[in-house]
Formats: sequence, C-alpha cells, structure tokens
Amino acid sequence: MDTAVTPVEFREGAVEVDGARLRYREAGQGSVLVHLPGPDGLTPALGLLAQRFRVVILEAGQPPRPAAMVAQAIRRLGLDAFDLMGTASDGATALGLALLEPTRVRALVLEAPTEGSDGDLERRLPDVATPTLVLLGTRDDARGAALGRTCKTRIPGSHLVFVYDAGAAVGRDRPQAFAEVVADFLERREAFVISRARTVLHP
Amino acid sequence: MKVSFFETVRYVPPRALPAEWPVPSGAYDPAAGAAAYQGMIERLRYVEALGFDWVSVSEHHYSPRILTPSPIVSAAFIAAQLPRITIALLGPIVPHSNPVRVAEELAMLDTMAGGRLVVGLLRGTANEAMTYDLNPQEARERTDEGMELILKAWTEPEPFGWQGRHFQYRTVSIWPRPLQQPHPPTFALGTSRESCEFAARHRLGCGVSYGPFEVMGKATRYYREQCARHGWTPAPEQILYRANMLVADTDDEAHALLRAQSAQAPFALRAGVREAMMAADARNIAGEARPAVLSGALPTTFVGSPDTVVEQVRRCREVVGAGVLDLSLHTPGSTDLEPLTRALELFGRKVLPRIRDI
Repeated sequence: MDTAVTPVEFREGAVEVDGARLRYREAGQGSVLVHLPGPDGLTPALGLLAQRFRVVILEAGQPPRPAAMVAQAIRRLGLDAFDLMGTASDGATALGLALLEPTRVRALVLEAPTEGSDGDLERRLPDVATPTLVLLGTRDDARGAALGRTCKTRIPGSHLVFVYDAGAAVGRDRPQAFAEVVADFLERREAFVISRARTVLHP
Repeated sequence: MKVSFFETVRYVPPRALPAEWPVPSGAYDPAAGAAAYQGMIERLRYVEALGFDWVSVSEHHYSPRILTPSPIVSAAFIAAQLPRITIALLGPIVPHSNPVRVAEELAMLDTMAGGRLVVGLLRGTANEAMTYDLNPQEARERTDEGMELILKAWTEPEPFGWQGRHFQYRTVSIWPRPLQQPHPPTFALGTSRESCEFAARHRLGCGVSYGPFEVMGKATRYYREQCARHGWTPAPEQILYRANMLVADTDDEAHALLRAQSAQAPFALRAGVREAMMAADARNIAGEARPAVLSGALPTTFVGSPDTVVEQVRRCREVVGAGVLDLSLHTPGSTDLEPLTRALELFGRKVLPRIRDI
C-alpha cells in the first residue's frame, strides 16, 4: 500500500429512505467497504483505504438512524454484499446491521465502538457471526475501551488490535497504521494473523 | 530508605586487556568468566546477609566491565541461589528487544522467584545502540512503544494485536502472567522528559543515575510534577537513584581512592565513532539537552567515611527525593576485588543500619 496520505477526491451524493435523506461520499474501486463514520468524518485513513477498496461513507449517525434504515439505504445504492466499518456510536449501528443482515455484511470493523441506542446490543453480541475486528487506540481510556473489549470477549472469533499512540479517533491519529490493519483483515479475514512481512535485507 | 546493591560481575582478567570498546571477544578468558559468575553468587550471599533490600543487574554488551549482556539470565541465576533478596532487573534495553518476549520472561521470573522481581525499563547507554545495530535516532521512540507494549502484555486479559510504529503483532496473549499483580513494581529509567512523562502517565517509578544530586533532582522534580498532572503522587520508593559510592574508614582514605580513579571511562569508543554517536544520540534532562556520556568516567556522588556518607544520603533524599539507593560500591576501573569486599563490609556495618530511617 502507498503509505503517503494524499488527499483523495470523494464524490458526494444522497440517498432517500422513508422520507429521510442520508448523505454519502464515495471513492475508489473494487470490493465495497461501507463506513459509518460517527463523529470522526472523513479521516486520512479513508483516503488510504480508497486506494484498495470502493469506500462508501454513509452519514448514518446524525441523527442516529436505525440499522434497518441504514441497510435499506445501502441497498438503494445498489450494494448487495459489503464489508462494514463503524466508528464510535456508529459502531453499535454497524453491529445492529450485521445482526440484521448477516448474509450481506461480509466482515465488520469496529473503530473505538460505543453504545448506541440499542440497550439490548451487548446481550446479542454472541450472535454476531460476521468476522469482526475491533480497533482501539492505546491513548483511548474512555470512548472505545469499554464496548470494544466487550465485543472482543463476546463476539466469537473476533479480533482486538491496539493501535499504538492513537486516541479514540484511530483513523485520524494513525492513518497508515489503521488502513494497513483494516485492509489486511478485509482481504484475509482470520488469516491476517499470519505475518507476510518480509525481513530479507539483501537477497 | 531502601538499599540496593548494584552487581556488576567482577571479571578479573588474567592479562591486560585492549582498552577500546568493543573489547575483542578473543581476549576473553573462559575460566576467569566462570570465576566471575561464581564470585558474584558468593558476594551476593554476603549482600543478602548484610540486609540489603535488593540486588540489581543491568544490560551491557561487548566488554568485561559489566558482564551481563542478558540481565534476565543473571537475575534467574541469582534468584535460584538466593532465597530472600529482591531482584531488581534494571535492564533490559527495551529498543533492542522483542517486547513481548521481555514481558514473558519477566513474568516467568517473577513467578519462579516468588514475586521477588522489580523491573526497570530503559533506552540504554549510547554505545549499546551499536551492539544490535539500533538506529540511535529511533531509540527513544522504540523505547516508549516497547515499554507500553510490555505493560499491555502483562495486563490485557484478552488476546490482542499491536499496530505500532516500530513493533507489530497480530496475536499476543502471554502465559504465565506475573505473580505480582497487576505487574511487578516497575520503573522507567532515565532523566529525559520523555521517560519522566511515560512513568507519570503509567504510574510507574522513575529511576535516575550517577549525576549530581541537584541535576538528578531536576529530573525527579519534573517527574513528580508530571505525576501531579496525571492526578497521583509517587511514593518515595518509586524514585530510585543509582550511584557510585566510595566509602572508607576516613574521608581522606575515600578521597585518595577517588583520586586514584581514572577520569576516562573504561573501554571507551574510538574518537571518531564517539563524535558521530554524540551527534546521533540526543539526550536531555527534564527537557534540557545534555550530551550522551561516552568518554568520561561516571561521577561518584557519595565519597567519604561512614559518617560523611550517611549525611550525603540524607542530602540525596532531600534533593533527589529518592527512596531507593542503588549503589555500586566497586572502585571504578579497578580489577582488584579486595576494596569492594572491604567497602561492602564497612557499608553493611556502619552505613546501612543508619540510613534505613532516612
């Protein structure tokens, strides 16, 4: 992956569902990654991911939209199956969506996730069958630390990765580190635990 | 005041050694090496009997000056043979190391030694960067990240990955964890702003070494300020001061020992390498730039008769705030073991009982 953080042009659009208008931004080609960005908006990490994936950033959090509405909005965009990433309270929405439509959501990435409006979410975590990666910044003592760890404990086979020296907004604080681990997970799923780093210095 | 004996493993060379670092391996004498490690255990039995609280070991390479390239190995050897004393592993050099391996080995050692481990984590002296081809300009960053990863490996209950700047792991989940929970008493060793801030942020102790009280006091004051900023106050035993001590029956005798000591560091680097290293290795005391110590002998800040030394310890407590003294009682540069044994006896009899309550 090119690790320079260069600005990527995101096309803007909107999709209507049940009278609500959800804005989205889109860039890149290939396998689809839908991102529910929470309060963090367009972080440099998304530009990096758009070099590898078709990234669709869907504003689903302000005001918070129910998972079913978000699922429908994504269908309106013509996207049937997709990888899904949710940040902060949109992490809870992403989890709700994965529970609602397990066949459409191929993989789930939760960036410092926090409780959404679904008070029952924690109880349902063991039912999440989607391969899940949780990302927490090592400087995040509050936002994602609690639900992030709960997700790791309760979602079967899920992975927890600490991004060193990042706060709650991991993709803003450490864009290259964030994009590398997310891309590796989305491409290899569970097998991302097997290193492919080359250490040969002088062949 | 807690008192720690800094064990440097006295290698007595059967013939004169080359004076430069690295010291050629070929000049090493296996029998002298074996005698040095056996002598270490005999000395430490005496140290334990004298009532020292801790024995400390450190990490140094490619020279006989301090014969512990792997302090974890020394600590395990000591722990197996001494039943009571606390073992302060004031190494390992973190930027050289695999932090997960360090976390595992220290957890093993703490468990096998019945919770007698104290840990100091550090960046290492400038010349050590050359031993494993570490870029000195990256050493600080690698140290901070490695220390944080060690703490995380000790405390995180779930398997985790680490997406760092210098270290990357997809799976960490160590067994055993330390016997002392959440982890052994741990110090960030160093006077730098970064080290003090790290210690304050993670509620660790702060360890400083060798410099004059006033200068070291600057670092420990900065550390305490940073702790306050993070909402806590360190206990006295969370401030450690390592120092050289020359104690003798009289002040005159002690000063004569000091005068006899070389002003040059033993096994110095060649001038060209030393200058290049000074340029590459930025150091500071509480944010104020200082050059790396590469050529001069380390200062001796406790010198005198038992009475004098007791007063100096009192001043050290006031100025540095240290609640732990980690002492090298060896006459620096000497290959004669006799003065060390004498100093130990004198210190144990006439100083140690009088500084407990300071």
